[in-house]
Amino acid sequence: MPREAMLTRTFVELADSLVADFDVVDVLTLLTSRCVEVLGVAAAGLMLVGIDGNLRVMASSSEGMRVLELFELQSQQGPCLDCYQTGLPVSNVDLATARRRWPRFTPEAIAAGFRTVHALPMRLRGNVIGALNLFHQDPDEMEESDVEAAQALADVATIAILQHRAAIEAQVLNEQLHLALNGRIIIEQAKGIVAERRHLNMEEAFYALRNHARNRRLMLVDVANGVIDGSFDLSELDSSDAQPAS
Amino acid sequence: MPDGERRLRLISLLVGHGPDIQTSRLCEVSAEATGMSGAGIMLMSEDVPRGSICTTDEASARIEELQFTLGEGPSVDAYVQDRPVAEPHLARASRPRWLAFTPAALEVGAQAVFSFPLHVGAVRLGSLNLYCDRPGGLTDDQHADALVMADVAAQAVLLLQANAPPGTLAKELEAGGEFHYVVHQASGMIAVQLDISIARALIQLRAYAFANDRPLAGVADEIVARTLRLDELAAD
Repeated sequence: MPREAMLTRTFVELADSLVADFDVVDVLTLLTSRCVEVLGVAAAGLMLVGIDGNLRVMASSSEGMRVLELFELQSQQGPCLDCYQTGLPVSNVDLATARRRWPRFTPEAIAAGFRTVHALPMRLRGNVIGALNLFHQDPDEMEESDVEAAQALADVATIAILQHRAAIEAQVLNEQLHLALNGRIIIEQAKGIVAERRHLNMEEAFYALRNHARNRRLMLVDVANGVIDGSFDLSELDSSDAQPAS
Repeated sequence: MPDGERRLRLISLLVGHGPDIQTSRLCEVSAEATGMSGAGIMLMSEDVPRGSICTTDEASARIEELQFTLGEGPSVDAYVQDRPVAEPHLARASRPRWLAFTPAALEVGAQAVFSFPLHVGAVRLGSLNLYCDRPGGLTDDQHADALVMADVAAQAVLLLQANAPPGTLAKELEAGGEFHYVVHQASGMIAVQLDISIARALIQLRAYAFANDRPLAGVADEIVARTLRLDELAAD
């Protein structure tokens, strides 16, 4: 199958897997296998950062690659870590010249049969959430178009992970959205009440509420709720609170 | 076209460079992909329109505002009924639908309106609104694109909000959006002026805006600026 067609097929397979419930590890494993077929690399692996801030091996195109990636994490050196730490791609590093850069990783990778290594960042909102490792068995350099195709695959993987998160956390995320929407409305309503009662403009009413909340270590939305249900006595609001800073 | 391929094409239009999704692109791509004149995305809660996170042009902004003011229209129906709503010929609507919205939407240039619920699983967030300045229904292809866009947009909204500090709306949703906060400020003032509940105050405000054929937010602006008082009107 021509490369363009294979790349298209990969995108379609990945996009299809975004539709309903899907196993994110399956999707990422599919992605690493396709990197091998489409980009002509010997092996591909994908690491993602966990909530503890540490990288984890999420998917590998082969068992040998998985072992090498685990070693990379254990020794805390290698292309994936460099890429993750700098947020920049690691391109076309010839392992024959990399012993000083990664003294422990390099001999291990050579022993596993690899010669050239690359790593591409998985980026989101300026943050790096992981990296895609691509290893060659020969000293051939990856062409610019290959790097672009690989980065596109890394971006699709990022979206897959995100959509997965949206699907499994939909209930919680939606509650956050509604709390934010409704909380803001409550605060605006309370501003209106304070503005009218205390003859302030909206900005002064906001500062009065916010500074009152800050000084007493209360949540602004809780103070606002008290204003609306009448449980908060507006005479408690200090007129000096109606200023930008308390 | 298989759904996966359609989704991929739409996502690639959205992301451009890298996986960050711009809120404004959600509306632009929705309109472009479906060949409509414009699009808007309304967030809803408790069956009430809360505000729009993006619109593509003046008319789509007016269509969103009308639904916010009137509390009726295709986006409200799509959300409440949780299914797509189509009115391909607003001027010759087969059933009397949206008595206040329809003439006002025609006036801003909409001849056809379509709305698709934003949901992720059982969770509902709002709706994607499309309008066209010519009458006519959606082709199967346009309909399928709109469904996928609504799905992608729903997930994008949740993901954008996921990164916001607790209790605050994500700045990406706020930035190009219109939530008419002034309406809630005015409701608070009216509640004090008329000694009524906030909910009653909002009803009074809506009634005044509707009776005077004015946008809700415009009336609210005057209340907040203290150039209009509803209690004086009530006393007349």
